[in-house]
Amino acid sequence: MKTFKIVISGVGGQGTLLASRILAEASISAGLHVKIGETYGMAQRGGPVMGHIQIGGAAHNPQIRKGEADALVGFEPAEASRRGVTYLKDGGLALVNTRVTAPVEVISGMVPYPDMGELMALLSKVTDRVVAFDATSLAEEAGDPIATNVVMLGALTESGELPFDEETVLTTLRDSLRPRFLELNMRAFDLGRKAYREVAS
Amino acid sequence: MSHPVALDKPGKRVVLMGNEAITRGAIEGGIALASGYPGTPSSEIGNTFTRVAKPLGIHFEWSANEKVALEVAFGASMVGQRAICSMKHVGVNVALDILNPITLRGVKGGLVLVSTDDPSQHSSRTEQDNRWLGRHNDVPILEPSSPQEAKDLTKYALELSEQVKLPVMIRTVTRLSHMRSDVKLGEMQRLNRKPGFDWDGFSYRVAGFEKLFRRHEERHGKIDSVQEVFEGSSFNELKLNGKEKIGVIGVGFAITYVRDALEHLGVEDRVAWLKLVTTNPMPERLVARLIESVDTVLIAEEVDPFIELHVKALAKDVNPDVKILGRMNGFIPREGELSHEVIDARVAELTGVELAPEARDDLEEAKGDLLFDRMLTMCAGCPHRSTIYALKKAVQAVKGDLMNVVVNGDIGCYGLAHAPPMEFEDTYFCMGASIGVSQGMQRFGVDTIAWIGDGTFFHAGIPALQNAVHNNAPIKVVVADNQAVAMTGFQTNPQLGRTATGDQVEPIMIEDIAKASGVKHVEVVDPYDLDTTEEAFKRMLGFDGVAMVIARRECAMVAVRNMRPERPPVYCVDQEACIGCKQCLNTYGCPALMWNEGERKASIDTTLCMGCTSCAQVCPVGAILRRDEA
Repeated sequence: MKTFKIVISGVGGQGTLLASRILAEASISAGLHVKIGETYGMAQRGGPVMGHIQIGGAAHNPQIRKGEADALVGFEPAEASRRGVTYLKDGGLALVNTRVTAPVEVISGMVPYPDMGELMALLSKVTDRVVAFDATSLAEEAGDPIATNVVMLGALTESGELPFDEETVLTTLRDSLRPRFLELNMRAFDLGRKAYREVAS
Repeated sequence: MSHPVALDKPGKRVVLMGNEAITRGAIEGGIALASGYPGTPSSEIGNTFTRVAKPLGIHFEWSANEKVALEVAFGASMVGQRAICSMKHVGVNVALDILNPITLRGVKGGLVLVSTDDPSQHSSRTEQDNRWLGRHNDVPILEPSSPQEAKDLTKYALELSEQVKLPVMIRTVTRLSHMRSDVKLGEMQRLNRKPGFDWDGFSYRVAGFEKLFRRHEERHGKIDSVQEVFEGSSFNELKLNGKEKIGVIGVGFAITYVRDALEHLGVEDRVAWLKLVTTNPMPERLVARLIESVDTVLIAEEVDPFIELHVKALAKDVNPDVKILGRMNGFIPREGELSHEVIDARVAELTGVELAPEARDDLEEAKGDLLFDRMLTMCAGCPHRSTIYALKKAVQAVKGDLMNVVVNGDIGCYGLAHAPPMEFEDTYFCMGASIGVSQGMQRFGVDTIAWIGDGTFFHAGIPALQNAVHNNAPIKVVVADNQAVAMTGFQTNPQLGRTATGDQVEPIMIEDIAKASGVKHVEVVDPYDLDTTEEAFKRMLGFDGVAMVIARRECAMVAVRNMRPERPPVYCVDQEACIGCKQCLNTYGCPALMWNEGERKASIDTTLCMGCTSCAQVCPVGAILRRDEA
């Protein structure tokens, strides 16, 4: 099969690593090989994180070539633009959480946070399939902002682009999450799916 | 859910990180002991052991530093146990002093040293190539190219070490240590060897001093025997049909870029390749088969031209006309890690294939204009920020100007003191150096502050502190004591009173060490109390002699984690009272603080605030209040 390539981008502490782990476990249970390359040097200290996920196929190196990602899962708008412009293929799927995580240079007033319209316009020059929504609000609605990653997974699953079905993702989620957080995360997953349907249509 | 590394299910496929795969390989190799010192990108090897070692009957420890870690592992080896010891590349600099005698004396139980190198310095102050350190001491080196191979090689390395009686180095790079892929598990082994000191192998009393002392020749014999083993190793792979004019040697993880490039450019039939995993000693006859057969050889390896140099020497004998390209002549950049871009371009150039031009240069440029860099910063509520804030005020008051002291920092989160808005750190070099270099400056009347963390103090600060007392160098030492090795993921240190695997032990307090070392002025303060901390720093600066202030407060990330599901009492800005002076933002700069340009008022992100109270103490008009009291 053709390798399905996903770039996940965000900021340390947003739960991007768990999102890639869920996708990896789901791939294996669907009988597919998987490779993930992660960059998170000192991300706990507010730095950017990025994951490259390649499902199926036979790539040897986990890094995705520039302009070859089938999907971008952006946990933060500036980070989505940063990685989308470089890695997303022309016409690829861009899922963007619009909730801003401001870096210290913005907080301390050294530079302004870029205009949201300009950020999305930049991404739109790569693809006309930008699906942007406030995933953190939906996670808060589900019960905890930390579930933003599961909202994003719900949206990605709803897009129908993953090389395995929704049930595989749900089973993996159930196996990976602590039981007492399960209900909350299932709500978050459904809100992500709903958001995709509403925004993408 | 139990950790996949501890699953007793041979044949099952699980997703493992390169580092986790090394831990699993050690378990499959039957180790009885694992040791290490945390440091990115090595830490997950030990972190995984902290979770799985005890139930498997393996002793795991975070040792005081890398040298001690390797000594502990060597001790286990001398009593017949298999052992593994892991550290980041610069850690091997520290361990080198014991690595040398191990290689001369040999090992009994298999002993594996894992060095995780960090090409492009993702989280290190250098990109040094530790293969030189292995060759320097005749250590066999293995370089895995995938998590599966990392697991298999670790098990093999333990067996090889025992067979040839040398320690074996596994050398990884960040991209491999931190990549994840599906790995097929093998059998777990528990050797249950009866421990016993190998008197004949190591004892001066039994074996005799003469037999054990001059061993350089014996070591050469051993490493030569390893070369013979490596000539036939199935971990290496040569793809050659004899008609190719071009050959590529991909060393360890670098082969992944090479094979992807050959497939991407459609030149697999025209280019021969060798995956080289056993890199010291290099299997010369295997490499000769490639370089005898082609006109041009490209060598792809991470960091230095280690194999390239050896191939050049070999070519003189087997094919002097072959053109050898790599990092030595800059055909591949001499610094920085490899990438698809670099290897694709070089292979395209050699094969004459047209590479599609970078299509998005204009977009990348527009992006550069629009986006910030996202600098690293201390976390919301980080006690180090409060410590530095108070230290700056004390220095300003006592010394008249912040530039009247040199602040020698050290390795850890607090090293971010150089960054805005604190900007109060001039140097940092290596573990513990803050205390040492300060003494050489202070000797000539240049005032200094040594700025060191608790973990780093235990690692290499103690001898330096005692040197200051012994040699009468009146330095001022500030210990940023956050009760954790925080930068690398909250590993333990000797002050915490518990081991990596959770046993309660006697805590060793820094103030006790300082006092016992003859430091006459030692104070312990809570940095969240800014005024008290500032006063303590003033007393330290005014003291005639070696003086120390320990600013002790648990890492905010640990504190918040331990509090869950409770949340700390958060703070807020009274919008009526705020005068928009930005003092909280510009002089304190916690990431939980926000600025509203329209209103010209500060506010607080309550999802980030952890209630440390510091910004409330900084505000000149008392506008920052506990939210439930506002």
